[in-house]
Amino acid sequence: MVAIIDYGMGNVASVQKALNFLSVKNVITDDHDAIKAADIILLPGVGSFAQGMKNLQERNLIELLKDEVMVKKKKFLGICLGMQLIMEKGIEPHECEGLGWIEGQVVKFELEHLNVPHMGWNNIDVLNNTYYENCETKDFYFIHSYHVLPKNKIDIAATVDYGFDVVASIQRGNIFATQFHPEKSQNAGLAILKTFFGINA
Amino acid sequence: MLKVRIIPILTFNGFGLVKTKKFANPRMVGNPVQYAKVYNSRGVDELVFVDIFASTQKRKINLKLVADVIKECYMPVAIGGGIESINDINDLLKIGADKVIIKTKALLDKEFIKQAVTFFGSQCISIAVDAYATSEGYKIFNKLNIDISIADFIREMTDCKVGEFVLMSVDKDGMMDGFDIDLINHVINITNIPVIVAGGGGNMEHYNELFSKTNVKAVGSASIFHFTQFTPLDIKNELKKINIPVRI
Repeated sequence: MVAIIDYGMGNVASVQKALNFLSVKNVITDDHDAIKAADIILLPGVGSFAQGMKNLQERNLIELLKDEVMVKKKKFLGICLGMQLIMEKGIEPHECEGLGWIEGQVVKFELEHLNVPHMGWNNIDVLNNTYYENCETKDFYFIHSYHVLPKNKIDIAATVDYGFDVVASIQRGNIFATQFHPEKSQNAGLAILKTFFGINA
Repeated sequence: MLKVRIIPILTFNGFGLVKTKKFANPRMVGNPVQYAKVYNSRGVDELVFVDIFASTQKRKINLKLVADVIKECYMPVAIGGGIESINDINDLLKIGADKVIIKTKALLDKEFIKQAVTFFGSQCISIAVDAYATSEGYKIFNKLNIDISIADFIREMTDCKVGEFVLMSVDKDGMMDGFDIDLINHVINITNIPVIVAGGGGNMEHYNELFSKTNVKAVGSASIFHFTQFTPLDIKNELKKINIPVRI
């Protein structure tokens, strides 16, 4: 069972649709018992970093998620804001502490000649192939104005060229996260989700 | 490298899909859910769905129908029409919309747009910019008697930190005789925010011209897909020939 964390930060419906399409059992929830009972945690989300942390706090989810992911080592997938929140610190719209599971911070794009947000389909360069081996194409849908800067390069699973090598994905142990939206990236995205959830095609 | 996006635009009148010419004479073209299904199977980059009469007819968008459209889509979807409140946006995001497109409320209430951006983040707030040429330059087409130049409106919305503009040339809408290149360059020179341009695409040369003469990264089209045999993939194959990055 996958617990899709419901903390009032958008796009849970699309994530659930993709999981349902793959016949992955899931529940959208902020209920502590349901989250504890799940074997995989999925943190989706769009919106601002500070609002995201505030919403997690209000639902008393910060300690609980830490316990499930960092102590019990449950498999974790973070998408977009869900990837940014696992860092130590964000600045959107003001400086704010994150979940802090991965060392590093989230900063704003400062680009002279490129549009912000980074919006649309872009191809990634994979550094850690664990969950990317079954992707036939490497174009994914991005939509973000902030990007993560992990302290340890080893945590970077993929980068994307947008003026420079922007971190597109993170992986360390049971933690996997993507800045892009696999649930919106058609076949390439579904291929990642299949691999992550252990579905043999 | 970022690919250019080719985006079908579905315009809805409350009952079915329609296509206008110069924002008038809506002609029925079909069923939105069927169209969504077809575009999804063709793997389009993104889909835009707008209820173009919601605001003027003072009604809310049909959430049940929008949900049925989104259900067919495994790509990003932007929804517009009659959005007036944070709740309206929430309703659309809850059923799976990735972005909302706002026009009327943006002309009336800048503070609301700021509030929406703070609440949901820049990335899901898109602004519709309906432009028409006048002797005093490009202005925003609207039925509220608001007189504002394109440049002023774009600057105001850029200050509100919105995530995207959907720039429609009213003069070119449905005419299929080429894009308004001057208008497009005028707009993308005043903002650093992504712009989807629309209005005028009728054949492959028009798209070649658009991406050769402007730096725009996304185009929305309707008539060419409704009234010719061309598909989004045809446009991409054509663009690929002139080395414009596309996702195929």
